[in-house]
Amino acid sequence: MVEDVAEPFESLARQAHAARLGMWIFLGTEVLLFGGLFALYAAYRIEHPGGFAVGVESNTVAWGSVNTGVLLVSSYAVALAVHELRRGKARASAWLIGATLLLGCLFLAVKTGEYREHFREGIYPGGVGDFYRDHADPGTRMFFTLYFCMTGLHALHVLVGGGVLGFLLVKVRSGRIGPHAPHPLAIGAIYWHLVDVIWIFLWPLFYLIPGSRP
Amino acid sequence: VSASTAARETSARGLLLTLVALLLLAGLSLALRFAHLGGWGYAVGLGIAVVKAALVGVFFMEILVEKAAVRLAFATCVVLLALLLALVLADVVTRAGPPLEDPPGTEPRVRG
Repeated sequence: MVEDVAEPFESLARQAHAARLGMWIFLGTEVLLFGGLFALYAAYRIEHPGGFAVGVESNTVAWGSVNTGVLLVSSYAVALAVHELRRGKARASAWLIGATLLLGCLFLAVKTGEYREHFREGIYPGGVGDFYRDHADPGTRMFFTLYFCMTGLHALHVLVGGGVLGFLLVKVRSGRIGPHAPHPLAIGAIYWHLVDVIWIFLWPLFYLIPGSRP
Repeated sequence: VSASTAARETSARGLLLTLVALLLLAGLSLALRFAHLGGWGYAVGLGIAVVKAALVGVFFMEILVEKAAVRLAFATCVVLLALLLALVLADVVTRAGPPLEDPPGTEPRVRG
């Protein structure tokens, strides 16, 4: 087990703690990155409630809701993968990481289908497209520009998270990450959970709250 | 991993219960989408989202098991986010409505 401890650390426990601290600080910066966009959303929505209501009602609730379920279950799967690895069940852990990856792919597939539907309806980011001819409120253009920015940035995070999990899957299968030092998987998992948490807020803002029209 | 840390990590049963709670809350959120809550929709929808995020943070991410340094680092970012949102909202909410027809200082002076 000694070979798992990297140079400056006295023990594996300290190394794991340092790694977790680093990941949580990184997650904090991610929260602030998305926080700026959420603040922008709040400000525009207060100025243009009617246009945002049209936007929310133009989105397909079913697609967003399916993706919410997919991400929640994927978060559970990766949390269970960490749990199994800690208990020495590397094989079960690898299967669960694989399941998480598949659910991540499903999420991206649904999101891609949704974007295609928007493009067919003439909804593009930046207020470009035929859709806005019948929906002239500037708030609707702002809504969809923010929608593409925020869900696009989120999808990019799903993609990166998937890459990280794929890397960890290989390591777990080869035994490089095992029950003796499961913290790399735990760290990858909390990144995936953060991506889930961000979607937990995107879902109501873009699909569920039409609000009151003025 | 010390024994006390292992005891505070979420059990398999706890993870499953968390997932069930998350899915039930998501279902509730979805049902209320069609309840025509008007302005209350913001409070209800975002309130449920905050509860779900807390469940993920506590039981999946195990933030409370982390050492104080880790919790402090992340809490700082949450406080900064709250500050950002509060100040932006304070500005936008308290803005006057449409621009004044006559800018201040140009009102005709009426005397007598």
